[in-house]
Formats: sequence, structure tokens, C-alpha cells
Amino acid sequence: MPEMEDELIGRVAAELRRPVRLDPAFDDRVMAAVRAHPLALRPWLFRRRTFSVTPLGALAVAAGFAGLIVATTLQLARRSEEPGTVTAASVVPFVLHAPDARSVTLVGDFNDWDAAATPLRATGASGSWVVTVPLPPGRYRYAFVVDGTRWIPDPAAPRAPDDDFGTPNSVLTVGT
Amino acid sequence: MGHTHRETASDGALVRRVLAGDVEAYAGLVARYRDRLGRYAVHLLGDQADAEDALQETFVRAYRNLGQCADPERFGAWVFRILVNRCRTIGGQRAKRERVVVRSEAHVAEADVEHPADRQAWREAIRWALDRLSPEQREAFLLKYVEELSYEEMMEITGAGESALKMRVKRACEAMRAMLAEVERA
Repeated sequence: MPEMEDELIGRVAAELRRPVRLDPAFDDRVMAAVRAHPLALRPWLFRRRTFSVTPLGALAVAAGFAGLIVATTLQLARRSEEPGTVTAASVVPFVLHAPDARSVTLVGDFNDWDAAATPLRATGASGSWVVTVPLPPGRYRYAFVVDGTRWIPDPAAPRAPDDDFGTPNSVLTVGT
Repeated sequence: MGHTHRETASDGALVRRVLAGDVEAYAGLVARYRDRLGRYAVHLLGDQADAEDALQETFVRAYRNLGQCADPERFGAWVFRILVNRCRTIGGQRAKRERVVVRSEAHVAEADVEHPADRQAWREAIRWALDRLSPEQREAFLLKYVEELSYEEMMEITGAGESALKMRVKRACEAMRAMLAEVERA
């Protein structure tokens, strides 16, 4: 392929590499927009959430892991601190077959995409990594992080449509 | 509020500060990448206002999804990918409306440095030629020759395969050569 030895293309590139001046107020506009939408930064485990029993949602998730997962759906019910409110959690298994991985963690909407928050445990010689997470009803984007650097979607689940962020994600829906 | 100081902390350090709640640290990342990303957006979209809209949306979306930045030290590549996608979306929406070609006012302002008529004509010819590339060819050409990315980096940013990118660059160069040679002969 002709590279930069092409004189004309070289002149085009040189012209296009010249700086482009943006509106001097650009930074201020961005920061004003950013300040208007502060991040929710608290770890998910410490948030107040109301869990409910979600057997269908858990089964749907388990079906999505076909062939890779031995899905175990547990339903936990507990009484919250608030009188009169019964809450329950659906425990959702996440499984990745990654025999060469040294570590696998789970990141998603439910743990603020914190790669240190939800490690998977190796299940032995099968090469599978597993973690179970209690999730309330909702739609979640998530992915696995292998060896701390490689971000991969769940091969057994649908891809999230919004992959703008360079990190292809999967999506699951936990129903009520 | 101005941002006249140069932030020396690494991308990773700034990302971690933002994620820890220091919103203002994000200004350092904006200042670090806005010029390069802005140049790409202006050349890809051919319109200063559309480019700044795309860039602002990019930085805000990046901020709101900062937790998804798997390698904070490579925030620049990550945010570049977001911009590429925003430009694709905006370019696609605009293509449905009308063909818009607006010169960069910044370029016009700088056009009197040397041989203003020649320089301006050359810039307009480049703009004219760029606008006649397919969106995929224009994207590949700018990433390769203006941003000087490797094919590996281009693959990461665009999601396209290496052979497809090489073909787009090749076709873009052929088209640019043909169009600009015609302009120079005129």
C-alpha cells in the first residue's frame, strides 16, 4: 500500500494536521454539563436497594448461559430494616469458561463497573469461573475482565446495543 | 472558569480522582484531549458546530460511563473510540437531512499567514475531496494519515478488521489523489 511516500497525500495530511481552534468556552460547557450529572460512586453493596423474589428472571438468565453454566437459582427473602417492607434477592450465577485465565472479575451496572468488586472463583479443572450475585429486577449491562486487562462480553448472553465505550458488553434482564 | 494550568497527572491518576468523587479532575482530561479530538471531529464532519457538539457529547458520555474505562491509563484511546462512534451517528443523521459543507472558521481565520488565496483554495479543495469520500473511507484516512495511528490502534478504535481498514485507506488515497490532481490541474 502506498504510504507517506505519496507526495500529494503527504501534503494533504500535513494540512489536516494543523491545529483546529475550538470555542474558547468549550471546556466550561463540558464541565458545566458534567457537574450537572454527578456520578453515583458508592459501591453497590452499600446502596439501599429493595430486592424482590425473581424466579423467572433468574431462570431466563440461566437459560442464556446455555452449555456453559450449571445455573443455580436461589431465592433469598429477608426483612429489611424498614417495618412492613419485605425484600428478597434473586441470586444470579455468572459463569465464564476461561481455562487460561489467571483471574476473572465481573463488572456491570450493578457494581459501578468496579473491576475489583466482584471476582469470580475458579471451579477447578473445568476452566470455568463462577460468581453469584444478588440482583433486583432490572436491566443490566455487564462484562468480564480477564487477567485485569482484557474486557470481554459474556459469550452466552446477548450483546448490549450501546457499545460506544470500546468495551463490548452483555445485557441481562432480571424480571419480577 | 478557565483551565490555564497544564495538568501533569497521568490519565489513570485523573480517572481515579474523578471516580473517587473529584469531578473537577475531569477538566484535566478534557484539556488534554480536546484539541486532538476536536481536529478529528472537524475534519470528519466538515462542520465546526457539529464537531463541537459531537465532542461535547463525547466528553459527557465518557464521564458518565467512566467506570467502564477498563484501562484508565489509556483513557485517550477509549474516549477517541467514543468520539468516532458519535461522529458516525451524527454524520449518519446529517446525511439523511442534507449534505452540509461548512468551512472551519478557525481555518478561515488562519488563512492569511502565507499566500492566503492559495492556502485557502488548497484547504477548500481538501475539504471538498474529503466530503466526497465515503464516511468509512474518510474515517480511515483521517485516523491513518492525520492522527497517525497504527492499524492496530485503528482496529481498537473503529472495531473494523485490519484488511478492511487497509482497503478503506487505499481507496481513500486513490480517490483523494484523483480528485486533488484534478483540482491542481485546473
